[in-house]
Amino acid sequence: MRISKGALLVVIAVLVPFVVEFRTALSWFGIELSILESLVLGGMAVLAVVLWAVWPPNGNAEAELSGSS
Amino acid sequence: MEVTRMSSTAGQTYLDQFPAEAKVIKAAFWSSFMALAIGGLLGLVQALHRTDVLRFIDSADYYTVLTAHGVLLAITFTIFFLVGIFTWAVTTSLDRGVVDIRFTWAWYIMMVVGTILVGVSILGGVVDAIPTNADVLFTFYAPLQAHPAFYVGLVLFVVGSWLAGADWFRTWWAWRKENPDERIPLPTFMALTTTLFWYLCTLGVALSILVFLLPWSLGIVDSVNPLLTRTLFWYFGHAVVYFWLMPAYMMWYIMLPKLSGGKLFSDPLARVVFVLFLLLSTPVGIHHQYLDPGIAEGYKFIAMTNTMFLLLPSLLTAFTVVASMEHGARQRGGTGYLGWLKALPWRDPVFTGMALAGLMFAAAGFSGMINAGMNINYLVHNTWWVVGHFHLTVGTAVALTFMAAAYWFIPQVTGKELWSRRLALGQVLVWFVGMTFMSNAMHRSGLFGMPRRTAEPQYQGFDFEPAVGTVGEINAQVALGAVLLTVALAMFLLNMVMTSFNDDSDSLPANTYAGTLSGPEDSPAVLDNLKLWTAIAVVLVIVGYTLPLASIVDSGGLFGPDIGGFQLAIETDPALVLESVREVMP
Repeated sequence: MRISKGALLVVIAVLVPFVVEFRTALSWFGIELSILESLVLGGMAVLAVVLWAVWPPNGNAEAELSGSS
Repeated sequence: MEVTRMSSTAGQTYLDQFPAEAKVIKAAFWSSFMALAIGGLLGLVQALHRTDVLRFIDSADYYTVLTAHGVLLAITFTIFFLVGIFTWAVTTSLDRGVVDIRFTWAWYIMMVVGTILVGVSILGGVVDAIPTNADVLFTFYAPLQAHPAFYVGLVLFVVGSWLAGADWFRTWWAWRKENPDERIPLPTFMALTTTLFWYLCTLGVALSILVFLLPWSLGIVDSVNPLLTRTLFWYFGHAVVYFWLMPAYMMWYIMLPKLSGGKLFSDPLARVVFVLFLLLSTPVGIHHQYLDPGIAEGYKFIAMTNTMFLLLPSLLTAFTVVASMEHGARQRGGTGYLGWLKALPWRDPVFTGMALAGLMFAAAGFSGMINAGMNINYLVHNTWWVVGHFHLTVGTAVALTFMAAAYWFIPQVTGKELWSRRLALGQVLVWFVGMTFMSNAMHRSGLFGMPRRTAEPQYQGFDFEPAVGTVGEINAQVALGAVLLTVALAMFLLNMVMTSFNDDSDSLPANTYAGTLSGPEDSPAVLDNLKLWTAIAVVLVIVGYTLPLASIVDSGGLFGPDIGGFQLAIETDPALVLESVREVMP
C-alpha cells in the first residue's frame, strides 16, 4: 500500500467535507446535484482513493514510509 | 535551543511523578466526561426534535434541554477538562507539585458544588419535584430570569476556576523563588496568560450576576437593564471562547510536534500568540451585539476592528503548528512538497484527533470572519449559521482536541493502558464526519435565514428557500450528523470506562512535551512580563467598554426602566391553542 490503513481512513474521512461542500460550490455554477448524484460522486472519489492507496507502489521510498506511519 | 523538560523523574508517567496531583486531574477529567455524556445526549434530543425527525418531548421543554446542553458542554465539560490540563502543564513544566494539594481539592470541590446547583436548577424545568426553573439558555442575560440557585451555582463554579488560577500562580511563584533567572517554561506561560484574561473577562459576568441578576431573582431589586446585563455577558461571552480554545492551542503547540516526531518550530512565536490573546480576547464582545439597537454603530465598529486583529494570532498558530508537524514528518523520513504528510502518525488517535480538530478550526475561522464583519453579520445573525460556527469551534476544535488528548492523558494520570487505540482512531474520524454533515447543514440553513434557538422552525404560510437542495435534505443532514456525533461520543466514553478497568501498565510513554527548534532564549525577555501585558489588556478593555457602558446606563438606567423580566415557563392554555388553530384553519 502507498499509505497506511490509518492514513487511508483519514483521507476518506477528509473527503467527506470536500464532497459535501463541492455540491454547494457547484450550485454557484448552475449545476445542482441531487443527493443520489452526490453519493455516487462521493463513492467514486472514495473508490479512486482506495485504488490509488492499494495500487502497488513503484518500489520507491514511499513504500517504506507507508509502513512506518 | 530548549529541550523537552527532563528531570530526575524522566521516563516516568505523570502518575509516577505527581501522584497527588494526578488524582485531582483524574477527578476533573471525569467530571468533564460526565458533563459531556449528559450534554451530548441532550444535543441529539434537540437535533431530532428541531428537525422533526423524532419528537418525544414537549416543545416547551426544548428550552430546558437547550439550556442544559449549552451550559453542560460550553461551561462544565470544557472548563473541568482545561483545569486538569493546566494543572498538568504547570506541574510538569515547572517540575514541581502544587504548593498545597488541599487547596487544589478545595477549588475542584467548589466547582463540583457549583455544577450540581446549576444542573439541578436547570433540571427543575422538566422535573416537577424540583421547584426551580432556569430555562435561560447558555446566554443567561435578562430579561430571562433563572432561579437564584442557578446564579449561585455559576458564581461558585467561576470562583472555583479563579482559585484554580491562583493555584497555578502560587506554584509558579514558588518555582520562581528557586529559579529566579529562568524564563517561564512555555506550558506554564500559556496557562498563566490564559488565566489572566479569564480573570479580566469574568469580572463582567461576576458583576452581572452579583449586582444585577442574583438580587433580581431574589426579589431584592425589582428591575434590571437587559441591555446592560447582555453587554456584561458578552464582555465575558467572547473571551470564554478563548478560555476553551487556549488549552486546545496548548495541545497543538506542545503535543502535536512531539507526536509528529519533531519539535515546536518557535517558542517565541507561541509566546507572542498567547500575549495577543491576553490583550485582545476581552475588548471584542460587542461583536455579538451588532443588531442591538442600544449601542452606537461606532462602538460596534471598534469591536469589529479588534476582532479582526484576533485573526493574527490564529494565523500565526496555523503557521507554527503546521511548520512543526512538517518538521516532525521530515524527521520521520517524509519528503516532497506534500509527500511529508504521508509520514505523519495517522494511526495514532491522539495525533489524528488533534490534527483533524485543527483542520476544522480553519473552516471555523472562515465562518467566524463572516460573523465578525458588521455588514455581513446582519445576514446570519441569530440564524443556525452561528450554531454551525460554534460547533466547529467549541464542538470540534476544542471538544475533539480534548477527546484526543484524553487518549494520552487518561493513561498518564491512571497508569493504565488505553483500552482500544483502534476504537479511538475510529471515534475521532466518526466525530469529524458527523460534524461535517451537521455544521455544513447548519451554515447553509443560516444563509436562508433559518433561526436558531427555536424548537419548531416550521412556519405556516412560509417556505424557506435554500440555495441548494431542500429544507428536508438539510434537516436530514443535521439529524444524520447528530446521530454520528452521538455514536462517536458513545465510543469515546466506552473507551474511557474500559480503560479505567484495565490493569496497571509498565509500558506507558513518559510524561513529556515537545522541545523547541527555537527556544525562549531567542525571544525578548519582555514577553514574560505578565504585569505589562495585563496592564495593556486592562487599558484596552477600558478603551473598548467605558463609553458603550456609560451610554447604556445613561439611556436605560443602571437597573433599567422598570424591566421585570419573566421566567421561561411555558404553560399551554387550551383556549389559546384553539385560537391559534382557528387562525391557521379559519
